[in-house]
Amino acid sequence: MATVTFDNATRQYPGNPKPSVDKLNIEIADGEFLVLVGPSGCGKSTSLRMLAGLEEVNGGRILIGDRDVTNLSPKDRDVAMVFQNYALYPHMSVADNMGFALKIAGVDKAEIRKRVEEAAKILDLTPYLDRKPKALSGGQRQRVAMGRAIVRSPQVFLMDEPLSNLDAKLRVQTRTQIASLQRRLGVTTVYVTHDQVEAMTMGDRVAVLKDGILQQCDSPRRMYDHPANVFVAGFIGSPAMNLMDVPVTDGGVDLHGHTVPVAREDLTNAGKHVTLGVRPEDLELSSDTSGIPVTVDVVEELGADAYIYGTAEQKLLEATGENAGDVPFIARVDGRRPPEKGEKIYLKPKPGHVHVFNAESGLRIGD
Amino acid sequence: MSRRGFVLITLGLPFVFYAVFVLWPFAQAFIYSLTNWSGFSDTFDFVGISNYEALLNDDTFLQAVRNNLLLAMVVPFVTIALALALATLVTVGGSSTGAVRGLGRSSFYRIVSFFPYTIPAIVIGLIWSQMFDPSSGLVNGLLTGIGLDQFTSFAWLGEVSTAMPVSMFVIIWGFVGFYMVLFIAAIKGIPSELYDAARVDGAGRFRMTMMVTLPMVRDTIQTAYIYLGILALDAFVYMAALNASGGPQNSTLTMTQDLFNTAFKKGQFGLASAMGVVLAVLTLLFAAVVFLVNRLTKGKDR
Repeated sequence: MATVTFDNATRQYPGNPKPSVDKLNIEIADGEFLVLVGPSGCGKSTSLRMLAGLEEVNGGRILIGDRDVTNLSPKDRDVAMVFQNYALYPHMSVADNMGFALKIAGVDKAEIRKRVEEAAKILDLTPYLDRKPKALSGGQRQRVAMGRAIVRSPQVFLMDEPLSNLDAKLRVQTRTQIASLQRRLGVTTVYVTHDQVEAMTMGDRVAVLKDGILQQCDSPRRMYDHPANVFVAGFIGSPAMNLMDVPVTDGGVDLHGHTVPVAREDLTNAGKHVTLGVRPEDLELSSDTSGIPVTVDVVEELGADAYIYGTAEQKLLEATGENAGDVPFIARVDGRRPPEKGEKIYLKPKPGHVHVFNAESGLRIGD
Repeated sequence: MSRRGFVLITLGLPFVFYAVFVLWPFAQAFIYSLTNWSGFSDTFDFVGISNYEALLNDDTFLQAVRNNLLLAMVVPFVTIALALALATLVTVGGSSTGAVRGLGRSSFYRIVSFFPYTIPAIVIGLIWSQMFDPSSGLVNGLLTGIGLDQFTSFAWLGEVSTAMPVSMFVIIWGFVGFYMVLFIAAIKGIPSELYDAARVDGAGRFRMTMMVTLPMVRDTIQTAYIYLGILALDAFVYMAALNASGGPQNSTLTMTQDLFNTAFKKGQFGLASAMGVVLAVLTLLFAAVVFLVNRLTKGKDR
């Protein structure tokens, strides 16, 4: 077990003008579960592969514990990896797959057998030890891939979208299993996913990447409540946060004719416009006509809650005389009394639950 | 068109061609092998299996069979081993850090090593027979050039001890490039995640080759083995170009050469047909052995 440090780690593919991972700085504590998340092409898998030694590091350093592993080959790093397609050796039995690394390391047969059986017990794989991977279901293969990592008791687990080939229900189950297994084993884990729900539910901390640049690295709670910029705000949370450009007015910002209070000192350097963010659950149905008028386009009923996808009509903004255009809104309402499709509703942001970002830089303003 | 008519045309017609031009000649060859037909007369007598009995006591033919079996054992093995080693180098044999990749400039090596395959076999044979010429050949020129004077007029193709190895070398030289390209394609078909996994599991280049590459390309190896085996059991063009007479003390004589001589020089078509049947049976046996070995080493589990 060990800490993991990315110290300005950079990866630039030859012939590519921009680095795929640009000066990544993350410190991962011993036993921590860190999730790297971002849209495809953001460099999250590349970062993980750099840590595994499967991708070269062009700049900066990577440390496992106090050991600089930047130029070590994968076999000398003492990390175990779970791959998206599991990468099980098709010609080997489940037991041989799980024991492969130990066999290479020269561990004696009885010891290998013992450790494989232990891992198999944890993962409910005992009846399948003599089967070949092709005779297993997707979920079982996934567990074998996990088992192969566990058996080694490495310093770091690396997981590259290990759940993306499972069906939705199994994914949710396995998600919990992996998270609890990791807590139990206490092995430092770096987990890559494009699914922000996985990121939020599994990680001790979440690191959001975009275009090879780290946007924010924080606990899921803090990431959700205090997104560092517009990208993180829009990426974390499902459905996504409502984000719109709004003009600054006296005492706050003008949201479709509705003044949202924002502390004066936060807006001093922001210019005429800011980007306002409101989470769907932070929009309330107004009992009168005082809020933003929104026409309901789609109602998504999820049982407990319902999500309203609507459009605020074009409107001349009083503050600037500009046309706001059609603005889409998503709001969460009580699932038992959702509005009808086509209905006109009035939405108001809950005071104190709005996020303000600089319109140019996209950076968060205020707390 | 009626269903019956469709079947008749699409299945029946090809079958007729197949029967007339493939099956019937096979049967014909077998029938002739039981006769004393001289090849250019319209009469012949059935002599039973006496042609086969004659072959069993024909030292020249038995020598040819031994030569072919030696070829079939050495040529496929060495060609495949070399081709696989080279293919591994250019696909996954590169640096052990960073992504799995081959050596630098691998496409250059690939093209260069494919060259021999584009040259007709007879040309390969003739070029190398010139190369190995005792007095004016390049090989001896080079060897004496670096001071090995004992090779001044060494007859590579004229010595019993070297004629066969040199002939094998020429055949292998001609085919390594092609099989290398074949194996490169097979190795590229292996998911790269498997190599990544093996590397993270601690495997070095040798382990990766033994534990990932070989098991994953064994079907291609089997196919290559059979092709090369058939080629080695024939080898007519190479051997005829290198040593038209069968080499010193028949040491490079092949069954096909013996068959050709028997039929067209000695006018014994019946006996030659028997040789052809023996060759066909040996070829089938060879393929069966390759399949069996692959089976026994658990190839079917994939």
